[in-house]
Amino acid sequence: MRVDRLALALTGTLLVALSACAQVDSDQAGGGSPLTIGTTDQVTGLDPAGTWDLGSATLHGQVYRWLMTSKPGSTQPVPDIAESAEFTSPTEFTVKIRPGLTFANGHKLTASDVKFSFERMRRINDPNGPSQLLADLDDITVQGDDTVVFKLKSKDNVLWPQILTSPAAMILDEEVFPEGKLAEDAEIVKANAFNGPFVITAFKKNEVAQMKRNESYDGILGEAKSAELVAKYYAEPSNLKLDIEQGNIDIAYRTLGPTAVADLESKPGIKVYKGPGAEMRFMVFDFTAMPYGSSTGQADPAKATAVRQAAADLIDRNALAKDVYLGTYSPVYSQVPAGLDGAAEPYKSLYGDGNGGPDVERAKKRLADAGVETPVALNLQYNNDHYGDTSAEEYALIKAQLETGGLFEVNLQTTIWSQYIQDQAKHEYPAYQLGWFSDYPDSDNYLNIIYGSDDVSSLLGKENEKPELSKLIEESRVAVDPAARTGLIEKAQQMYAEYVPTLPLLQGSDIVIARDTVEGVETTLDASFRFRMGVLSKSS
Amino acid sequence: MATTSLEDKATVAVKTGGGLGRYILVRFLLILPTVLVLVSLVFVLMRVVGDPITASAGGRLTQEQLAERLAAAGYDRPIAVQYAEFIRDIFTGDFGRTVTDNRPISEVLLTYGAATFELVFFSVIVALAVGIPLGRWAAYRRDRLPDAVLRVLAILAYATPVFFAGLLLKLVFSVWLGWLPLGGRGTTATQLTLSGIDGASGIYTLDALRTGRWDLISDVLSHAVLPALALGLITGGVFLRLVRINLIGTLSMDYVAAARSRGVRERRLVRKHAYRPALIPIITVMGMQIALMLGGAVLTETTFEWRGLGFELARYLAARDYVAVQGIVALLAVIVAVTNFLVDVIAAFIDPRVRY
Amino acid sequence: MENSQRAAMTRARSWRSLPIVWHLRLSSGLQRGMLIAGLVLVGVFLLAAALAPLIAPYSYNQLSGPGGAFPRHASPSAEFLWGTTVGGYDVFSRVVWGSRTALLTVVMAIAPSLVIGVALGLISGYLGGALDRVLAMIADAIYAFPSLLLAIVVSIVISGGQSSFLGGILAAALAISVVFVPQYFRVTRAETLRIKAEPYVESAQVIGTSTRRILAKHVLRNATRSLPLIITLNASEAILTLAALGFLGFGINPAAAAEWGYDINRAISDVASGIWWTGVFPGLAIVLLVMGITLVGESLNDLADPRLRLRRESRRARTTEGAA
Repeated sequence: MRVDRLALALTGTLLVALSACAQVDSDQAGGGSPLTIGTTDQVTGLDPAGTWDLGSATLHGQVYRWLMTSKPGSTQPVPDIAESAEFTSPTEFTVKIRPGLTFANGHKLTASDVKFSFERMRRINDPNGPSQLLADLDDITVQGDDTVVFKLKSKDNVLWPQILTSPAAMILDEEVFPEGKLAEDAEIVKANAFNGPFVITAFKKNEVAQMKRNESYDGILGEAKSAELVAKYYAEPSNLKLDIEQGNIDIAYRTLGPTAVADLESKPGIKVYKGPGAEMRFMVFDFTAMPYGSSTGQADPAKATAVRQAAADLIDRNALAKDVYLGTYSPVYSQVPAGLDGAAEPYKSLYGDGNGGPDVERAKKRLADAGVETPVALNLQYNNDHYGDTSAEEYALIKAQLETGGLFEVNLQTTIWSQYIQDQAKHEYPAYQLGWFSDYPDSDNYLNIIYGSDDVSSLLGKENEKPELSKLIEESRVAVDPAARTGLIEKAQQMYAEYVPTLPLLQGSDIVIARDTVEGVETTLDASFRFRMGVLSKSS
Repeated sequence: MATTSLEDKATVAVKTGGGLGRYILVRFLLILPTVLVLVSLVFVLMRVVGDPITASAGGRLTQEQLAERLAAAGYDRPIAVQYAEFIRDIFTGDFGRTVTDNRPISEVLLTYGAATFELVFFSVIVALAVGIPLGRWAAYRRDRLPDAVLRVLAILAYATPVFFAGLLLKLVFSVWLGWLPLGGRGTTATQLTLSGIDGASGIYTLDALRTGRWDLISDVLSHAVLPALALGLITGGVFLRLVRINLIGTLSMDYVAAARSRGVRERRLVRKHAYRPALIPIITVMGMQIALMLGGAVLTETTFEWRGLGFELARYLAARDYVAVQGIVALLAVIVAVTNFLVDVIAAFIDPRVRY
Repeated sequence: MENSQRAAMTRARSWRSLPIVWHLRLSSGLQRGMLIAGLVLVGVFLLAAALAPLIAPYSYNQLSGPGGAFPRHASPSAEFLWGTTVGGYDVFSRVVWGSRTALLTVVMAIAPSLVIGVALGLISGYLGGALDRVLAMIADAIYAFPSLLLAIVVSIVISGGQSSFLGGILAAALAISVVFVPQYFRVTRAETLRIKAEPYVESAQVIGTSTRRILAKHVLRNATRSLPLIITLNASEAILTLAALGFLGFGINPAAAAEWGYDINRAISDVASGIWWTGVFPGLAIVLLVMGITLVGESLNDLADPRLRLRRESRRARTTEGAA
């Protein structure tokens, strides 16, 4: 009896307290408050050695610096911490560091910090870290205070400057970061071991990161436009959507679904910006398990190729982009997304109506010519807890497209990610969905999924590789002359498309939704896919 | 091993007619094996459903690279070896660090445990405030209109999935009316202020009260309203039905009938005679419910961005983070086991027959 | 289930003693009203489940009709009664087909857990000793795991994460029943412990009645007094858990079956964008079905318990009531 009276009293107090404060924070983002950016991406941690995901990389990009990075509007790496960076021999890449650089805490940034950062990344080799990206690094030596020499395993590795802009190449404070293990987030914040345009002043993992301008930063991105910045992390996209709509935050960056973006486009006071995105969505054929694949009873490479090509004829990328993704993705006709140097569109001319649309008759003829019996039964797998909810609609439509004309009979299945990725590796899926985010903005990072050599097999598996294609890719990696390299990359894409190991479907757009008051969003949206918060500001 | 023999002794003691003290001892000693069973179960289940490294780097690394990383983390060793190591670590109090984001388990438990505790605290208040008085009222006015209305409302509260109700609540109170915040435990400014104070407990209401700043207190409380209502009303519906049915049950007992025949009024019957005996099942179920809320509020926590244990557990589960899942489950198991223990002890105090 | 039995056996001579009919005849006033309301609700969903192909204008995974591909996010109209989803599915059809998925899961989840849980609870509670302790400990342990998360893990283990129709339902059902067994076990055991101390059991023991007979005749009948309530609670909970699994993305592939929780999950962003019909209808379906089941359960529970049922008569004849 007393229990409920107590409870009543407590509730009463609660309600009174509430009515007293009912009108809270709905316009907290008003004048003078920090620029607030909301995202559903998660941050694994503040130590770059232990993270390899977009959410962490985006935050790290604001507070750490690279030897080289690209300027807004370009994908070309240019020196940043470096004063000069060049090959001094086919296997030696020499970087001279600008004099007088410091971290935000006043520690000197020297060649020794650079050596430390790269060696630490490789030594820790954290299972969640990107140390794999440094596979070509053989040794690193310091000459004096300001010169670092990277000794590489391969000759003329034209990709090395790009690697130096990747998440594996951030320069850290050797006086703060422990040598053989990951640093605690709190340690890093406390020691103020930052050197990017911003420093983090308070960090609550996956809830909020509070940043302020790094006054000692003098890099190529220029002084940060906003003095204060808050990154707010969401778990539920609908909350992010409602918060930007309500004006509780200034910017929503990654990731709202197509419906939410379409709705926000029509709302007053909100602008939707679309730039090139780092994400590729494609469908893979497993060469062993696909119809007529090497492990099936009726292995026949010619017929298998015909099946893949017929599927390529039937796919209508425009419908996928427009109907399913409401324009938040765009069609892509090569395994290399549009916007990168050397990107071509071979799938457009080779398949369908030759202009990007589907062509049932062509597919029918292709299958008949190869003597393939129709309908072809195809087990198609997609995943819906790794590549977004909308995968379900995407693949339902792909199924419908493949089944037009009765050429295919698609059995659609979905499996949770951890199982999916194992089954895929065991060749249990004849055809399946896969996605790709680049680590650095270069065509090679996309073609790499099919590249394999005697030592390493490709991401798609040994059976999917084509030696001639791998050789072309290898050649492009050491082509020092840019024009020659572009030619090789175009050739590789053409060969890839004829061989059809995958059906590239869609390319992500980097979508930024901002309140009217925010300026500078266009500046950072370019094919490098780096979100540079330093160029953003808001008027009030 | 030591526990088993102790337990056997205790069992013998009970069988030979031990008293309340012995009963409590037995129940207390049962906590440890209960927790151990659960943690072991989770250990095995987690190893069946994949590994954290493949889950995070799969699709990006080739099979050889994945295998290398698995070996480096020691996950390619026989399960028995890993299990032995795990048990040894538990007994030495070393819960380790999460695999996917390298945090000490103790930090994870403290941070998110405080959040969940806060949510459950408010929800229990709502549930009790709704369930007990209304349940008694319904029992008192049984089979009349108030009873029917209350029962239907209780059923409605229970029948509405929290993610559905949460969405509607948010739309009405946050979007249309603009009275309450959408989600989270406080504005970013509040969160940063509160996490900055000395010896922050992580229970925002408590920390805000300590600062004595009204703006902080009201901000924290206003963030708690919708999630507490969503979770509390569901549980309140359960409580209401529970109280009602048990009260009606005891109201028809002989001694109540006898009191009634002596002319004791119905209202007084409910309050004085029927309530106490009805308490055992009520307390039992309530205890279990509350304990379960601590870990079972996943949906509420997700809907309202309330980063608590349930939410993080679901997240770590999706990432197949063995260490994190095991740690959180161990804590939840301890909480539930202790609650069960307390519930049993209270029940034993109220009704000695329970002690057999 | 009982409802269809009732329909089939209306002509049978003993129809008056069939469970639901008996309850209906016994009930009166508000109790009867609640029972009928519950029965109607459950009946509607049973009908929808049984006759889904006839009632629903389209299949649950149909994306195009004679007039071409279905529009996405179409608002309710004559062609699409409750509009279409983000994927272009007909909402009405998916809600109707979804009742089949939900009810199938309920039956498949409750039957095994009820049998196992009650049997173990009776034996464990009555016999006591080491077995009792071990069982109670395991039940406590399982019970201590947040049920939804347990369901997630078990469903992953069972289905290997695949979400075909049968695989998905079976995984969900088994996952849910794993959660329920300890509940039945605990309740039955607690009641058994209580009943064991009752004079009539003691006297039965004294006159040498066999354990099996005591268990069956005295304990089972009395210990399962609160089970109808729990069964309906669990039936409701099974539906809610299935929906939650679907909501959290561990449910069934939309092309393989219609499942309300999944549809609500996909509708969250719709609702936040002002498109209400994709979420409201599956949401209401869950609410109504759970309400129906719970109303029936509560009424049955009232009627089965003499103390709850006979109250009206007790007013009139208070003195004779005490003996019941």
